[in-house]
Amino acid sequence: MSAIASAAAGHSLNLAAGSKVDGVALGVLLFFFIVVTFGGFWASNWRRSDTPHSLDEWGLGGRSFGTVITWFLLGGDLYTAYTFIAVPAAMFATGAVTGFFAIAYTILIYPIVFIFMPRMWSVSHSKGYVTAADFVRGRFDSRALALAVALTGIIATMPYIALQLVGIQAVIDTIGLGGTGNAFVRDLPLLIAFAVLAAYTYSSGLRAPAIIAFVKDSLVYLVIAVAIVYVGVHIGFHHLFQSAETKMATKTKTGAATGVFIPAKNNFWAYGTLALGSALRCSCTRTR
Amino acid sequence: MSHPSRHRLSPGVAIAAGILLAIPIVALLWVPLYARKDPELWGFPFFYWYQMLWVVACGLFTGAAYHLIQRDRRRVNK
Repeated sequence: MSAIASAAAGHSLNLAAGSKVDGVALGVLLFFFIVVTFGGFWASNWRRSDTPHSLDEWGLGGRSFGTVITWFLLGGDLYTAYTFIAVPAAMFATGAVTGFFAIAYTILIYPIVFIFMPRMWSVSHSKGYVTAADFVRGRFDSRALALAVALTGIIATMPYIALQLVGIQAVIDTIGLGGTGNAFVRDLPLLIAFAVLAAYTYSSGLRAPAIIAFVKDSLVYLVIAVAIVYVGVHIGFHHLFQSAETKMATKTKTGAATGVFIPAKNNFWAYGTLALGSALRCSCTRTR
Repeated sequence: MSHPSRHRLSPGVAIAAGILLAIPIVALLWVPLYARKDPELWGFPFFYWYQMLWVVACGLFTGAAYHLIQRDRRRVNK
């Protein structure tokens, strides 16, 4: 691993200034990469059952996760590269309508899930369904519909995975490992990260993200705490929001405002429907 | 726990739980209600702190709905 990292680091030395490797940041990244990789592979032995080769074991962790583990897993599931990179970047660029609806929709998920999920859970639990497609096949007795649901699930997950990959790529670029060489060298760190992730998911199933969620959620809390304290002490929230308002009101070359600080009449519907649509989408894909 | 799906909620509890779940949904989807700058709180415009407040408030509302339903279930199972 370190040989590859230093090769990639050497490669990026050829780049223009500004994309130099930050030693401390790279060290932190590598440390957590190793911890998470170890945890992901070790997860296959965690809470091991007598029948480790069933789909229940791989896809649902043996249906044995209680409230605490599920809470961590959901946290790790919901707060991703999308939440940490895409949404803040969208808000930084064009303001509230393109980004802040994420706050509204992640809140809306819970009452919506509360209405549908207990029933779906108890039926799936007693009949032994693993996926949403199993549920549809059992309820409606239609192979075609179940297949359509399964395919829709896979296809709908693709852009989401692509988004995560772009997020990882952004992190790697920021660290200074990205580079602008040929496509293979440029994407090598990303390919390695993804191959490792795929390998431990293959061997450990849902146990891997559950274990990793403990690391990830702790880091999420740390980031939030540091951001609140740092912004509060060094910048001040009033100043922060004032700067954002000024930036969003600034006219671009086309004469339009840069973005939206607080939605006005013409984008109430955009904001509300983005929140509702995202909440429904999220409730459907989190049917574990 | 044996057969939670067989349980039928009494109408009063079902309506109360439904209202408790509907309040946060309406409060967040009714955008004109909170798309304002004032009053500010600790430098946060109303639009921003109102929605962040619902992170906590929504947990309280869904928690209340859950406890109502659990209490009704225990009563019926007695």
